Amino acid sequence: MPILLPCLVFLPMLWAPAAYLTGRKSKKARDIVVSAGALVHFALALTLLASVLSTKEAPSFTLDGFCGLGIRFRADGFRALYACVAGLMWSVTGLFNPEYFAHYRNRNRFGFFFLLTLGATCGVFLSDDLYTTFIFFEIMSLTSYPWVAHEETPGALRAAQTYLAVAVIGGMVTLMGLFLLHHALGTLQFEEMRQAARRLADPGSLLLPGVLVLVGFGGKAGMFPLHIWLPKAHPVAPAPASALLSGILTKTGIYGILVLTVYVFRTDTRWGLLILALGCVTMLLGAVLALFSVDLKRTLACSSMSQIGFILIGAACQSLLGEESSLAAQGTILHMLNHSLFKLGLFLCAGTVYMNLHQLNLNDIRGWGRKKPFLAVCFLLPALGISGIPLWSGFLSKSLLHEGLLEYIGLGAEGAGFSSVVEKVFIVTGGLTLTYMTKLFVALFVEKHPTRQKEFDRKTPYLSPVGRLLLLLPALLVTVPGVLPALTARPLSYAALPFMDAVPHDVDYFSLENLLGAFKSVLVALFCYPVVVRGLLMAPDMEKHGKKKAAPRVYVNRWFRRFDMEDTLYRPLIHGLLTGLGLLAQGLDRLLEGLMLPLGLLAGADLARGLDQLLERFLLPAGQSVLTALAKVLDGFTEKALKPAALHLGTFTGRVMDSSVDAMTLGLRRTLFRAKKPRPVPTVGNRLTFAVGSFLDRICAFLNRTVFKRRPIRTRFVSVLAALAEDAEENSRHFARTISFSLLVFALGFLALLFLVLR
Amino acid sequence: MLLLITVLLPILCGALLPAFRFKNRRLREGYVLFSVLLTSALVFLCCFTTRGNVTFSFLHFTQKITCSLHLDDLGRVFTCMIAFLWPLASLYAFEYMEHEGRQNSFFAWYTLAFGITLGISMAGDVVTLYLFYELLTLVTLPLVMHGMGKERVAAGLKYLYYSLFGAGLAFAGIMLVLAYGETSAFVPGGVLRGLDESRVPLMRLGYLLVFVGMGVKAAVFPFHGWLVSASAAPTPVTALLHAVAVVKAGVFGLIRLTWFSFGPDLLRDSFAQWIPFALAAFTILYGSVNAVRETHFKRRLVYSTISNLSYILLGTVMLTPRGLEGAMLHMVYHAFMKITLFGVCGTVQIRAGLTEVSQWHGLARRMPLCMALFVPSALAMTGIPPLDGFHSKWTLAMGALETGGPPAVVGCAVLALSAVLTAVYLLVPAFHAFFSVPAGPSPQDRLDPSLQMLLPLSVWTLTTLVLSFSYAAFMPFVSSIVRSVIR
Repeated sequence: MPILLPCLVFLPMLWAPAAYLTGRKSKKARDIVVSAGALVHFALALTLLASVLSTKEAPSFTLDGFCGLGIRFRADGFRALYACVAGLMWSVTGLFNPEYFAHYRNRNRFGFFFLLTLGATCGVFLSDDLYTTFIFFEIMSLTSYPWVAHEETPGALRAAQTYLAVAVIGGMVTLMGLFLLHHALGTLQFEEMRQAARRLADPGSLLLPGVLVLVGFGGKAGMFPLHIWLPKAHPVAPAPASALLSGILTKTGIYGILVLTVYVFRTDTRWGLLILALGCVTMLLGAVLALFSVDLKRTLACSSMSQIGFILIGAACQSLLGEESSLAAQGTILHMLNHSLFKLGLFLCAGTVYMNLHQLNLNDIRGWGRKKPFLAVCFLLPALGISGIPLWSGFLSKSLLHEGLLEYIGLGAEGAGFSSVVEKVFIVTGGLTLTYMTKLFVALFVEKHPTRQKEFDRKTPYLSPVGRLLLLLPALLVTVPGVLPALTARPLSYAALPFMDAVPHDVDYFSLENLLGAFKSVLVALFCYPVVVRGLLMAPDMEKHGKKKAAPRVYVNRWFRRFDMEDTLYRPLIHGLLTGLGLLAQGLDRLLEGLMLPLGLLAGADLARGLDQLLERFLLPAGQSVLTALAKVLDGFTEKALKPAALHLGTFTGRVMDSSVDAMTLGLRRTLFRAKKPRPVPTVGNRLTFAVGSFLDRICAFLNRTVFKRRPIRTRFVSVLAALAEDAEENSRHFARTISFSLLVFALGFLALLFLVLR
Repeated sequence: MLLLITVLLPILCGALLPAFRFKNRRLREGYVLFSVLLTSALVFLCCFTTRGNVTFSFLHFTQKITCSLHLDDLGRVFTCMIAFLWPLASLYAFEYMEHEGRQNSFFAWYTLAFGITLGISMAGDVVTLYLFYELLTLVTLPLVMHGMGKERVAAGLKYLYYSLFGAGLAFAGIMLVLAYGETSAFVPGGVLRGLDESRVPLMRLGYLLVFVGMGVKAAVFPFHGWLVSASAAPTPVTALLHAVAVVKAGVFGLIRLTWFSFGPDLLRDSFAQWIPFALAAFTILYGSVNAVRETHFKRRLVYSTISNLSYILLGTVMLTPRGLEGAMLHMVYHAFMKITLFGVCGTVQIRAGLTEVSQWHGLARRMPLCMALFVPSALAMTGIPPLDGFHSKWTLAMGALETGGPPAVVGCAVLALSAVLTAVYLLVPAFHAFFSVPAGPSPQDRLDPSLQMLLPLSVWTLTTLVLSFSYAAFMPFVSSIVRSVIR
């Protein structure tokens, strides 16, 4: 079975070029090849999962020397399960693609990156050391970029830019963390990391590397404050891509965080509390954003963020609870699994809406789902699931997470007070989830569109039979485990527990306590929906209907633009950083020029002064003594006449030598450094001179009209200033050229000095 | 003896080229290609038929001052890289230089420079190294000044002055090695083991001089100015000489002098290690930042070269085995990536007439093959796994961590930050080429160059990919070099 592991990773990657090449010949064949690739992958993954579940062994595969350290794969229950989920999601979206993309361009490209990303994602989920995880994580980030940018509209490109920035910057920060982690632990293999971390004298030294690694994984998972790409990328990406991005690519980030939590920070309370706090903020913020959003896919994206927060809380509990983390671990696994399926179903529904209407705003699409009972059911089941209503799978996982949290509060350990606040937020967010899902459902399936309702109600085929089947599949997959947890959810979560280093622990899913938690959430929703959504987030449509009271109420976006962290914080920050660094570099360049020039001049001046001194020290005294000797022979009269003459001669020679340096410079300027031919007088100059010049010109014109009527000023300041600027620029260029010459002079001088010193 | 023939052959062929006064393009290209290929064949013959160290000494002035050629494993790596790149670069240059004219003189110097670079890579002692190092300056000067345009003459003079300045400083340092070293030949681990304690500071100062002197060729801040100006030269020159041969000769010379003359033991934990370390780390950032700032694509690549050369220098002066390993890997990997990038840049320049980065929007529609060849190298430069740039950066970072203390963190941080900046200055244009819509009217013509230009580009890209996935085969060889030096 081990051979299945590399197959799962590399087969889709090799399949991708085949799909691309087929696509150049025939579109139909390409669609078949792409779907077949995903289906074969799914079949292989199922085989792997079956063999892992039946033999209770975890096959592993090592490829030594690949990428330096070599890569390691291993498939225990959890990893095989997630390879399977990936296969399922890719198969469903792959089959959905032909219908969705019917009118798109560049479908070959999409198919190519679709399969590449499948391989890379599987590489992440099957990895057995962080090095392998990172390699495939980076590949996945880049190959999923074309998904987001697929439509090539400015909005899509901007969102894709954000996505790439989070991926690349996050990736590099993670890499830095991995450097440090590898240095601290000596290994990145999961099991060895656990042992090395236990042996470590000072576990606190791992926190910095851990946080750095967290940046990249957290960014991909959509964790606050790195969630910025999520709400932007989803609305612009094609729906199948959104389903995958939110359903499974975010889970790769979670996988990385889980690895850190379980294998490095197993018992580190600080780490647990950090993740707990981040998870809590992510959970609440995501839900609030989803509540305020008026765009179908954006709401679903923010909802993903919120659910990731739930999963993070589960992860945090594993670190906080240490050995007794079974409930939290089961909850985490199940919620990851459930969320993948919810989002698959919901995004495919959203895709169906977009495919038919090419609109996503709730006001534009409302009422479209009326008289489409099939679609309503396919939307409703995952929506109920994600809201945690009993009898759907979301209820199981949320209850388990909740119990894990309560368990920690019960321990009364460090941070218990904070945890009880988190627990309240947990319940409220559960209610908010139900609220925004109700908002979507009511808008889409209950309300009527003010103008186009008749058109919407017409019985036109909106989805092919294959599409219907694909939509039904996730809806069923979230319902069956909710009704029969003991047969489905329990064995799966038990099989996945070894990865989390936890032991199976039986639990009564439908205990009174759990039902009460769900009931509390429903109460919150019962309060929130009428008050917040119908009251605060809807307003009479003033624009179209004037100020009439009877104007229909529409959904309005009341979220503050100021609160967009990307536009108010990250982009200015990065721009500022880049500009700052750029200015620094520019300043250094200037400084260099400024420094070198005086150095060069100094060297030249030294040479001249040296010659002068040579003259004064040796020649003059020599001349003097000769002259004195002469003078002693000659009589006093001649002495008086000759001496000043000799002195003058000496000075003159000195001056000649002195100015010969100037002549040399002049000569060099005429030959090697010849200035360019004088240009015609410029009339515009640069921006500054033009602005100042035209200002002065205007003053002159004004003065000419008023004060100097008889003798007007004729100077054109624009051209004067432009000429000045040109001059200054020319001079600075000349200086810059001299620098290299001065460097040469410096080297020669240095050699002479060295010669003198060593002699 | 074969070594000497190998070095002299291209020099001779290059010198003879003007004598033929080729009028026919085909004939000249045949002649150049033949001589270059013959030399490369000889190089491979030398490298692969011999094992261990081969020395051939051909001039004796005094006991210490001799000229000798020498081939060891480190030299083999550099020599093979040069011999592999040169014929392909010539092929690329044939088509490119159609637009420049005066090919006879150009290819004469181009072939000459091959011999001189081989001389540096096979130099057996400091005197020979210095000799060829000086010659390289003089031989490549006409290439920079080719066409004698005003900008190019100015750039050439700047190059000359900077190089002479550097050579002056390096000469001083080399004199010190000659004066106090056991021998002038290159010995793994250095020739200053028996150095008198009182001379240690002086020798460290000497190393600093050598670092700055050779650093001029390797474009270390603040002596990088010439490389930026020299980007005015024809692209084949910039691609081969200013991304590979000349600058790598500086780097290679430094590796030689650091590990084979001065020796790591002398330098470790002294100012002679930390000043070069700081300079290299700073240059990495400085080059990357300037590359981001620069909008002229060729100059952007030049700044990227400045930054990447300092990766190698940083690895060299870490004085740890991993650091040296990383330096050697990056020296080879970077050569292939950068020459591809320059090749694509030059192709875009002559085929589409585009020089600015902003003009790249939507370029992939017009030059799909060219852009497709650009992407792997750009990804590798950024250090995206599993491409080879990632291995070298990983190894370098591990080497930096081995030094311990603040330099370790500084080294890692610089590597990570520079990787982000690399993504900005290389990947962003690449993505714009593929996904953005060109501003204004977009011609629909196909501009991909002929096979003669595409062949070298594809071979280089392929080499990058092969190096990425054959790490396991390549690595033991590099490790054995490092082991021989560390002992």
